[in-house]
Amino acid sequence: MTSSNNFQWRRDRDGLGVWEHRGKVAIAGYGHSPVDRRWDGENLDTSLGAYTMMACEKAMEQAGVTIDQVDGIVCCDSHIAGGSGGSASNWAPRPYFDAPYDSEYGITLINAQWLIGAMGFKNVKFAPTGVPTIGEMVGMASQAVGDGVCSTCLVIYPTGNLEGRYRRGGENADDYARGARQWTVPWGNHGGNDFINIFPHNQYCLKYGGEHDDLAPFVINQHKNGMLTPWGFNYNHGIEPISVEDYKTSRYILNPLRIWDCDRPVNASAAYLFTTAERAQDMKSQPVYVLNHSQHNFRFRTTQPDLDEVEMWTDRQAARMYEGAGLGPADVDIFNPYDGYSIMTQFFLEGFQWHGVKRGDAFAFYAGDISVKGPHPFSSSGGNLGNGRTRTAMYTDSIEQLRGTAGDRQVAVKAETALCAFTTPSSGGWLMLGKYPS
Amino acid sequence: MNKLISFDIDGTLEVGDPPGCITLDMVRAAKASGCIIGSCSDRTVSNQQRIWETAGIDMEFTVLKHQLDAVKEQFPAEDYYHIGDTDLDRQYAERNGFHFLLPDVDVAQLWENGN
Repeated sequence: MTSSNNFQWRRDRDGLGVWEHRGKVAIAGYGHSPVDRRWDGENLDTSLGAYTMMACEKAMEQAGVTIDQVDGIVCCDSHIAGGSGGSASNWAPRPYFDAPYDSEYGITLINAQWLIGAMGFKNVKFAPTGVPTIGEMVGMASQAVGDGVCSTCLVIYPTGNLEGRYRRGGENADDYARGARQWTVPWGNHGGNDFINIFPHNQYCLKYGGEHDDLAPFVINQHKNGMLTPWGFNYNHGIEPISVEDYKTSRYILNPLRIWDCDRPVNASAAYLFTTAERAQDMKSQPVYVLNHSQHNFRFRTTQPDLDEVEMWTDRQAARMYEGAGLGPADVDIFNPYDGYSIMTQFFLEGFQWHGVKRGDAFAFYAGDISVKGPHPFSSSGGNLGNGRTRTAMYTDSIEQLRGTAGDRQVAVKAETALCAFTTPSSGGWLMLGKYPS
Repeated sequence: MNKLISFDIDGTLEVGDPPGCITLDMVRAAKASGCIIGSCSDRTVSNQQRIWETAGIDMEFTVLKHQLDAVKEQFPAEDYYHIGDTDLDRQYAERNGFHFLLPDVDVAQLWENGN
């Protein structure tokens, strides 16, 4: 039933042509758990395991699928807080609970095997291990359904968080930079993409003009969109909108990266139900169709990418996605790139040339009307910045926009295609969705 | 001259996320004893002000985490304390000449002992 992930399914090369399953795979349902800041360590009903089961049940319910019909489970089985997350990601050495919470699984980790046992799936024939993050999982599931490996596949992305310093355990908490870390983190651990992206971001400001705080309208808009997302963290926890002054006076996390440029770790889970376009026709909710998936994992030339490298990477991501979907920049109605750190989003916007935005145009674009009711409803999901670090808002919003069920977030422009991602400039994946299969 | 106490919010005060062990009654007691009190948090200033407004406590200052220097400049005091739950609280407190206190049993005893 389970198999290791051999990565053969990836569409991670240039020039692959139109995806062979374009429009033949659909998403028929999704489900979100509540989004909490962290698990309290006591109430098992709000644990990562319970929230994941809840998300799966909601996704199946929305699609009108029973547990016996599910034959595929693609579940990210790693800590979002990182392998060296310390007490924020590892429950041990604290004592475990009664089954199914008698190990890290169900508390800080979820995998397909645990879910099969805990929920009672009986007919799962595709449940890979070593599954990557959601940016690639949605592609993996799309390819599996398209290839006929499975026909009704749950894609699950748990994002756990316990009390404690996020990503500051293990070797990250070490006073020494040992081994290869002497070259990559000699001054101590950083969050990875925060630092990695600051250098090209600063180069960007120098090359094209503008300054870091020109990101303020984008970040503020993400918060506004988050306040229109009923399942998100900000909406449910009284997070108030921020002003330009709030942004510009906020604390630097890593100069010039401000606290509002960073997403908020949360404890939550989400699930999506992928199936064939044919089966989706008979399911309970309106399907949206997968028009292409693509992945990338570009090799760094040095330990620190520069602007040229980042722009080349994002150009290639865009070319792969557009080629595989048989679409171009002018065809994309909804654009939900990743925003875990606000400083990387402009690279995606310009690489994919959404609404005609070219290299160096992003800050001017942000200064215009990017609200969901305006002509350029950029990142209508609110992303991680508006909803917490679920890394799923981009996908759910895209589905809702195409269905016309985004509520107060529903855009006023045409919504027939949507491009969404969890990716950094160097690695991750993109998904193109359509209201129609062709 | 009075003492000045700066309170972090999340992980420090009972109204924080996560809740801390410093109760609003302890904040009130500090104010009643003549201390200059305020909050210093990564929450927006408007959000901090709303918390105190809701609690009915008139704070002397509400500043962002990295602005303790401005507090010291504005308020002459006999001694300066910042109560917070993270290394970052310690860093900003010590950088700006504040005594740093963790919101734990020890700091609670300060109230019990009437200090």
